[in-house]
Amino acid sequence: MLDVNDIHVTYGRLRALKGVSLSVKEGEIVCLIGPNGAGKSTTLASIAGGVTPHRGTISLEGKPLAGVGPEGIARLGVSLVPEGRHVFGALTVAENLRVATYMRKDRSAIAADYDRVLALFPRLQERIGSPGGRLSGGEQQMLVIARALLTKPRLLLVDEPSLGLAPKIVDQVYDILLAARKMEGLTLLINEQSSHRILKHADRIYVIRGGHIQLHDTAANLQDGEAIKRAYFGFGEEAAIDEEDAA
Amino acid sequence: MIGLLQNLVDAANLGSLYALAALGVGLLFGILRLVNFAHGDFISIGAYALIVPSFEVTAQLFIGEWNWALMIPTVTLIVVIVALISDALVFQPLRRASAPTLMIASFAVSYVIQNGILMIYGARPKAANLWSGLDTPILLGELRVPLLQIITIGVTLALMVALTLFLKQTRYGVMMRAAAEDFRMAQYLGVNGNFVIGLAFAISGILATAVSLLYLSQTGTLAPTMGVPLALFAFVATVIGGMGSLLGAVVGGFLVGFIVIMLQAYLPEDLRPFRDAFAFTFVILILLVRPSGIVPTRAFIERV
Ligand SMILES: Nc1ncnc2c1ncn2[C@@H]1O[C@H](COP(=O)(O)OP(=O)(O)OP(=O)(O)O)[C@@H](O)[C@H]1O
Ligand SMILES: [Mg+2]
Repeated sequence: MLDVNDIHVTYGRLRALKGVSLSVKEGEIVCLIGPNGAGKSTTLASIAGGVTPHRGTISLEGKPLAGVGPEGIARLGVSLVPEGRHVFGALTVAENLRVATYMRKDRSAIAADYDRVLALFPRLQERIGSPGGRLSGGEQQMLVIARALLTKPRLLLVDEPSLGLAPKIVDQVYDILLAARKMEGLTLLINEQSSHRILKHADRIYVIRGGHIQLHDTAANLQDGEAIKRAYFGFGEEAAIDEEDAA
Repeated sequence: MIGLLQNLVDAANLGSLYALAALGVGLLFGILRLVNFAHGDFISIGAYALIVPSFEVTAQLFIGEWNWALMIPTVTLIVVIVALISDALVFQPLRRASAPTLMIASFAVSYVIQNGILMIYGARPKAANLWSGLDTPILLGELRVPLLQIITIGVTLALMVALTLFLKQTRYGVMMRAAAEDFRMAQYLGVNGNFVIGLAFAISGILATAVSLLYLSQTGTLAPTMGVPLALFAFVATVIGGMGSLLGAVVGGFLVGFIVIMLQAYLPEDLRPFRDAFAFTFVILILLVRPSGIVPTRAFIERV
């Protein structure tokens, strides 16, 4: 479904991605894990069209996404829940949700989708008239996921859904993501800093560090966590990577 | 007492013009982070569009002579088209540019429009009689208020209500508010960025036209730089109101109108020529007390 091939991204002189490749197949849950500053958010933003790689290609179902732009990519069925949530604070919960439906061509299906999606989020229903900025962190995370679902995506990109939330809330967020996936037939690409929660849900795992993919395998093969730990902290490979960076 | 009331009506009248201009500036700043110095020139175009192109000192009305029901939409359309063209030719290619770059580009647009007016209409100010029947005073008790001032205040309030309804109740309005708060996130949700910006330019053009017509009918004079002082006070209004807040722009506009009229009325005779210097002193005082304006917005601070 999604193919990212050798993308390079720089911010000014900082090289954030140095040739990242990954792929996601229809119906999969794929997780991208890596430490602070590894390039996870940059990878997702590149896929969603918010950041433009200066080298490499990204394609969706074989069609290249270069030059399509964020709004065009959203219309192709890719929705990003970015890091830091990005709720429209001055808009009510209902308005936040409505913004996501404006681009849709299937107007007649929106009302039913709205009810179905909102049924997953009883807490949002209670707060439907409040400004988004007044919600708690957990509620905001729910809101941005619900909002993304209302774009009717086929591929949902979620950037660190657990960031800054209490463990109990994180469990709820994941329950909802999994329920939504089943209900809507979604494909998921999720960023996380740690593997411990995601390992039991994911089909495949990529570990990214320093703008490189360090490891890629099925979750089943990685269950003991040792290989992930090595790739994550870079034991024994530091020298090789530094040499490559210098080159 | 009657004198004070009279001054308050004058303040509301001038404040209305500043508030309308400030709304036009504030709308574009909210969406694009553009401080649009060409807004004053959009206002000038709305006035010049009414007259026959010539170098004569007394302007001959052309579109301005039409029935208002046809004239207002026509002038509005002209100004909106100019606003959209400046977006398409200048600001659209600069979408990724920084706020200072955008501001300097708007200086260029302003300069081009002013010189265009100079070439077609000449440099000398012109007299023009728009709606001259409307300056009959209306008596409210002992208060004599020109009908035109009542119309100005009424039109301003009506436009503010209409804009509020548009922003709160329509899908395009909700899109614009979302984009003003977090442009990139709105795009991630499929909102067409160029469309929303074009809409903001169009509305800004509509507001500029309202100022053109009201201002021209009150002053009866056209000049190639006639919109510049209006835009200047509008910027001041948006800054003290709180950059990025439309409510702030309106509050700021009325406040600046109030300060200017009160200084004009109560400053000793020999200090009156320095009225604007005093007005700006007040502005600086307000900003010292409230550095982010009277109605600060989070959107401005959080913008990446
Ligand atoms: N807008 C930006 N401008 C400049 N540098 C940036 C920008 N965004 C990210 N970076 C830098 O690019 C590198 C990769 O950042 P990225 O946000 O993709 O990492 P991440 O894996 O998502 O990290 P985190 O876990 O902290 O979210 C980091 O060194 C970061 O400082
Ligand atoms: Mg990140």
